[in-house]
Amino acid sequence: MNPSFSSPARVGALGAVLAGFILAASPAHADRIEKHFPVQSKPKITVRNSNGRVQVKAWPKNEVLVAWTNKSGKAAVETEQAGNRVEVSAQANEEGLSADDSKIDFEITVPVESELSVRTDSGNVTVDSVHGDMTFDTVGANLQLSDVDGYMVVKTIDGSLVCNRCSGKLEANSISGNVQMLSPTLDSVRVQTSSGNILFDGSFLSRGIYIMKNFSGTIEVHFTSSDSFDVNATSLKGDVINQATFKPDTHGSPHPASKWGHSLFGTLNEGHAKVELSSFSGTIKILKRD
Amino acid sequence: MQCEQFEQMLELQDEGALPKPALDHLETCEACRGLSADFAAIHDIALELATEEIAPPERVWISLRNQLEAERLIHEPQETPTSASPSNPRWWTTLQRPAFAGAFLGIVLAAASAIGYLSNAPQTSVQSQLAPQQEISSVPSADSVFKEEALTVGNESIPGLQRQDTAVTDSIRRNLQIVDNFIAICEKSVREQPDNQMAREYLYGAYQQKAELLATATNRSMTGGLQ
Repeated sequence: MNPSFSSPARVGALGAVLAGFILAASPAHADRIEKHFPVQSKPKITVRNSNGRVQVKAWPKNEVLVAWTNKSGKAAVETEQAGNRVEVSAQANEEGLSADDSKIDFEITVPVESELSVRTDSGNVTVDSVHGDMTFDTVGANLQLSDVDGYMVVKTIDGSLVCNRCSGKLEANSISGNVQMLSPTLDSVRVQTSSGNILFDGSFLSRGIYIMKNFSGTIEVHFTSSDSFDVNATSLKGDVINQATFKPDTHGSPHPASKWGHSLFGTLNEGHAKVELSSFSGTIKILKRD
Repeated sequence: MQCEQFEQMLELQDEGALPKPALDHLETCEACRGLSADFAAIHDIALELATEEIAPPERVWISLRNQLEAERLIHEPQETPTSASPSNPRWWTTLQRPAFAGAFLGIVLAAASAIGYLSNAPQTSVQSQLAPQQEISSVPSADSVFKEEALTVGNESIPGLQRQDTAVTDSIRRNLQIVDNFIAICEKSVREQPDNQMAREYLYGAYQQKAELLATATNRSMTGGLQ
C-alpha cells in the first residue's frame, strides 16, 4: 500500500478539494437571500406565494427580516416597503413553471406586534408568537398558529388549521380541512368546514361566543366542570354525544324540540359563554376533559 | 376569418354589432353562430339578474331551478380535456376565459341568493317553489340558454382553471366534488322534508361554498399561482 494514500492529512486534503469542486458546481440560485426592512411598531406584512413553506416568527427588533430560497432559480421574489407596510411576492421568471420550479420557502421574522396577510396555494404556513390581526388564504396549505394573539381569519380549501394556545378571535372556513384549537384563550370562534373535523380543547371564556359548524365530520368540544356556557347542539342526520349535565337553558327564548335530527340545549353553571354546534350528518361530541 | 379570430373578436365586443368580417364569418360558420347566440343569451341573463337582485323573474328562477334539479350544473362529468390545446373543442377554450367563468359564477351566486331569499319566504310559498317544476314546459329551460357541456362541471372541467400545479388543481377538483355531493344530499333532504329549515340552510351554504370555490379557481388561474 502506498503510505501517501493512507495518510489522514492527504485524505483530508483530497476531501476538501472534492468538496470545493462540488460547491463550485452548485448553482448559485439555491442560495438563501435575505432582506431587512426597518419598521416602526405594528407593521403590516403581506406575503404572496404559490408553492413553498412560509414560516413567520417574532423577535423583539423593530425590523422585518425576509429570507427565502428557490432551488430552481426560476422564480424570484419582489419586495416593497412603504413605511410600515412590507409586501413580499413570489414572481415567476418564466412562463409555465412547474410546481417544483416555482417553490419558494420563506422565513420571515417580524416584530411581535405585527399584522399579517398570507396567501399561498400549497406548502405549509407556520406562525409563532405574533400578536396582531392576521388573514390567511390557502388552497391546500396547512396552517399552524402557535401562541398568536389577535383577530385571525383563515380561509382554506383543504388545508388544515392547528391553533396552539391562540388568543383573541378566530374565523376559519374550509371545505375539507380539519380545524383544531388546542388550549385556546379565544373569546370568539366561528369555524366552519364541510367534511373536516373540528376539535376545541380549551376553556370557554366568559362572554365568549363559539360557533362550530360542519357537514359530515366530527365536532368535538372538551369542557371542565367549572366551565360556564349555554349550549345548542344539533346534528340533522348524526348523533349528539354528551357527557355534561346541563340544566335547562334559562337564557333567552325557549328552544322547542326539533322534529328533525338530534338536538341538545342546556346550560352549564351560569351559562356565561354561548356554544353553538351544528352538523348535517356528522357526530357532535361534548366530552369532559380528563 | 378563422374561428379563433372570431372568438377573440366576440370576446372583446362589448355592445353593438360585430364588425363586417365577423358577420361574414357568421354567415358561413354554424359553430360560431351557436357560440355567438350563447354569448348573447348569457349577456342578457346576466343583465336581468343584475337588475332584479331581490326577486329574480320567475322564468329565470325556473330555468335555474330546472337546471339545478336536473343537476346538470354539477353532475354527470363528461370526458373533457383538462387544458386548452389545438385538439380541444372551441367551446372549451372559450369556457376557460374569465368572462365565461365570471358569468357562470354569477349564475351560481344568483341561484344561491334565490335559495336564500326563498328560505325566508312563507313556508307555503317555499314548498310550492321547491316542488319539481318540470311540468311547466312553456318556460324556456336553462338548456336553451347554455349549452349543456358548457355548464358541466365535473372531474375534468373547472371554468377558468389552467394551472401547472397539479396538486392545487387536484385539490380544487376534489373539493368541488365534495361540495357537489353535499349539494346533492341537501337537495334530496329539502325535497323530502320541505319544511326542514336546517336542511335548507345547509343547501344555501353549500351553494355559497361552490360559488366561492369557483371564484378561488378562477382567481388562482388568472393570477397563475405566482404573481
